[in-house]
Amino acid sequence: MTPTLLGRWQTRLLLFLVLGLPLTFLYAWIYAGFDVFDIDTNFFLVLVVLFVVGFILDPVYIWLQGFRWDHDWPFAFQFFFSFIEFGIVLALIYFDVLWFLPSFLLSDFDGFLVILGHFLTVFIPSFLALLGFIQIFLVRWRFKAAELGRL
Amino acid sequence: MDKLTFPIVLTLEEIGASGARRFISHVELPVEGTYTVGAATDDSVPVSVAGISRGHLILEASADAIVLRERDGGTTNGTFFNGERVTAAALVPGSEVVLANVVALSIRGAGQDTATKIQEQPKQERQESGSRPSSGSSISDYIIVRPGAEERARGGDEFPGGLFAGEIVSTAALRQHEAYAGEVDFLALGGGIGNFVWVDHLRVYGVPISNIRVIGIDRICYKNYERYCLNSQIPRHERLRSNAISVPDNVWGFPGYASRESFNALFRGGKGSAGAIFEVFGEPTLAQSYTPMAGEVFKSLDKEMARIGWFDMFINGRILSMRKTDDGRYAVAYRLTREAAAANNGQREQIVIGRYIHIGTGYPATRFVEDLQNFRSANPSHRDYVINAYDPHDAVYDAIGRSGKPVTVMIRGRGIVASRVHQRLVAEHDRRNANLRIIHLMRSEKPYGDGAKFRRAKRPVFNDVEIQPFNWPKACWGGSLRADIERMAPEERAETFEILGGTTTAERSDWTEMIERGTREGWYVKYYGSIERLVPDESGKANLEVRVKTRSATTEYREIHADYIIDCTGLIGDVTRSPFLKDLVETYHLPRNNAAPHGEPARLTGISVTPDFEILGLQNGHGHVYAAGQITGGGPYAAVDSFLGLQYSALRSVDHLHTVRAPFVSSFGPLKSFGQWVRWCQGVAP
Repeated sequence: MTPTLLGRWQTRLLLFLVLGLPLTFLYAWIYAGFDVFDIDTNFFLVLVVLFVVGFILDPVYIWLQGFRWDHDWPFAFQFFFSFIEFGIVLALIYFDVLWFLPSFLLSDFDGFLVILGHFLTVFIPSFLALLGFIQIFLVRWRFKAAELGRL
Repeated sequence: MDKLTFPIVLTLEEIGASGARRFISHVELPVEGTYTVGAATDDSVPVSVAGISRGHLILEASADAIVLRERDGGTTNGTFFNGERVTAAALVPGSEVVLANVVALSIRGAGQDTATKIQEQPKQERQESGSRPSSGSSISDYIIVRPGAEERARGGDEFPGGLFAGEIVSTAALRQHEAYAGEVDFLALGGGIGNFVWVDHLRVYGVPISNIRVIGIDRICYKNYERYCLNSQIPRHERLRSNAISVPDNVWGFPGYASRESFNALFRGGKGSAGAIFEVFGEPTLAQSYTPMAGEVFKSLDKEMARIGWFDMFINGRILSMRKTDDGRYAVAYRLTREAAAANNGQREQIVIGRYIHIGTGYPATRFVEDLQNFRSANPSHRDYVINAYDPHDAVYDAIGRSGKPVTVMIRGRGIVASRVHQRLVAEHDRRNANLRIIHLMRSEKPYGDGAKFRRAKRPVFNDVEIQPFNWPKACWGGSLRADIERMAPEERAETFEILGGTTTAERSDWTEMIERGTREGWYVKYYGSIERLVPDESGKANLEVRVKTRSATTEYREIHADYIIDCTGLIGDVTRSPFLKDLVETYHLPRNNAAPHGEPARLTGISVTPDFEILGLQNGHGHVYAAGQITGGGPYAAVDSFLGLQYSALRSVDHLHTVRAPFVSSFGPLKSFGQWVRWCQGVAP
């Protein structure tokens, strides 16, 4: 991948809206025993925090990318840093940094597994989308440094 | 007397029994040197007319005159100058020499415009007709036109002649012409991969087969590309220097070659590696960059050609010339191949009218570097020992392998082709001839850490070669650099290309291994410098004696005895070497890109195009002309000469066709795109 900052932000937002929100809803709905009124909104808050953390880190990635001769961002990097972002979110929860996401969500291992399951549910399809599925719909995306719209 | 300017163009004519003259060919002497005219195929100007003997005449061309000498011992049938039999004479413009009463040789006068009438026969065709694969040019490198007999009879060389004399032709007049062959909306000229990708886009965007025509020499779009691959040692099972997502058979770039390769290996028992997809995941840090096998690329193109109806749109012919019409379109004159003409009542000259044109004629010619060309001119008997890596030269490897005796081969250059040639030589060394020695000549040393620098990044160096997976940094295709370069002013662009381009090779562990092993065992040696003098080896140690001027702390000269030199310094694409493009550029005063950084004398490269790959100077009412490939080099997009670059340019120009409301061209939004992708997966027509 050879994204620009704008491309990273736009693609992140696209994946958040098209995959992140529906998949989170699905996960939360299943977790709530298929009862829409019993859905835990914390899943959505985690997703939003994950989005914001990534959004803030994107300029850092772009800065690092500038040191690479090809100005590219290999898939392995993308994969690795996605887990870093997830780790940061976990830390923010664990250390009670965010008033709206209390640390009791991670009070036991089961709590961690629930959040990990949520993350993987969103992350795996999003990563596959980056590997090529976005291009099926947005044929110009790969030439526009991951930005949306026409060339 | 006026000095002669090179290239000097000679005219050869056959003199019949009645005294009637028949044009044989124009011959271009590119530089000062010694040339031979004679019946043998290794004469620099071969003439197959009865009465002419092998090595009949020697021409010594200099700026003062062309001095003719009969070969030592004279010839049976003699040489005549101004009616007198001579053994030597000086040829000046306007004079003529007659060989054996059957061939007249004259020099074109100074100031005569030779360019307009000369038609270069593309090198590829010459190679095909050759029976000497080792040199690749059974017909001399200097002959620039050799029309067939029936074309001569009809004055075919002149077509379309006066009809296309002006800048604009009248559609009404064309419709009356005997060569008029019809009208179409979309017309692709060249028939190569560049055209193919453009037509593929048109088809998936919604244009029906009946509205598109393609004119080209080879029906198979990758034929010419494959020839270059084979010559530069990439057979079908070898991997190309291309990316997984650079898929000329698939508009979306998905699935790429890596996922297809993995899928085939896992589920269909196909060739290749099941782990290919993980290479893409890990490249370039955890794994070597993935590259597809040439044969797989060609197979996928075969499939897509069939799917989009390529053969129903294809016209087998050679493009001659193009003009704007008076109704906002374009007239294209072409000559059908003999076989295609047979189905057309033998009528070969054709003119077709189109509104949207795509020029994808590829590399105009492979040019041989000057010093080696000079050597070949001066030493016809040693021509086969000096080789351009892009010309067919498999026979050389075979000769090396079979001989078993000590053979020394000098490789010049350090790019990807040098790596390929080196790999092939190492294979001969390992399998058949352990006495093979490889001398690698590079212009200068390239210490580790001395790679090109651009902004915050630096290009890595290994074994004196700058390492880059592809021929440009990746972000030139679709990343930040693509947008940056598009925005740059021409001078800044030239400076950037100077840094980002340059000679590079890919990092491959097998190449590293062969260099290290060869160096350790002493059969691979590197020299830094340039060839100072190249002559046939008189000592009998080898075929060639090379004096290399080395560039180290002090300049030294080194005599090297080599049997072959394989030049890998590159394919030189000069648009003016294509008569078709040269005529377009001159007729419509088309601007060209300039590769020279600010303050340096101009170095013209490709034809200037917009970011949508349109040639603005050819706009004609509602008609538009686009170009793709190397002929647009040096412009707003760097990587024009690559599969992915061709996909990009097709996308840009077909998107532009939508904005100018070309018929059937949709906006290709997400739903249409998805629908067409599903059809691609099913293998059904768009």
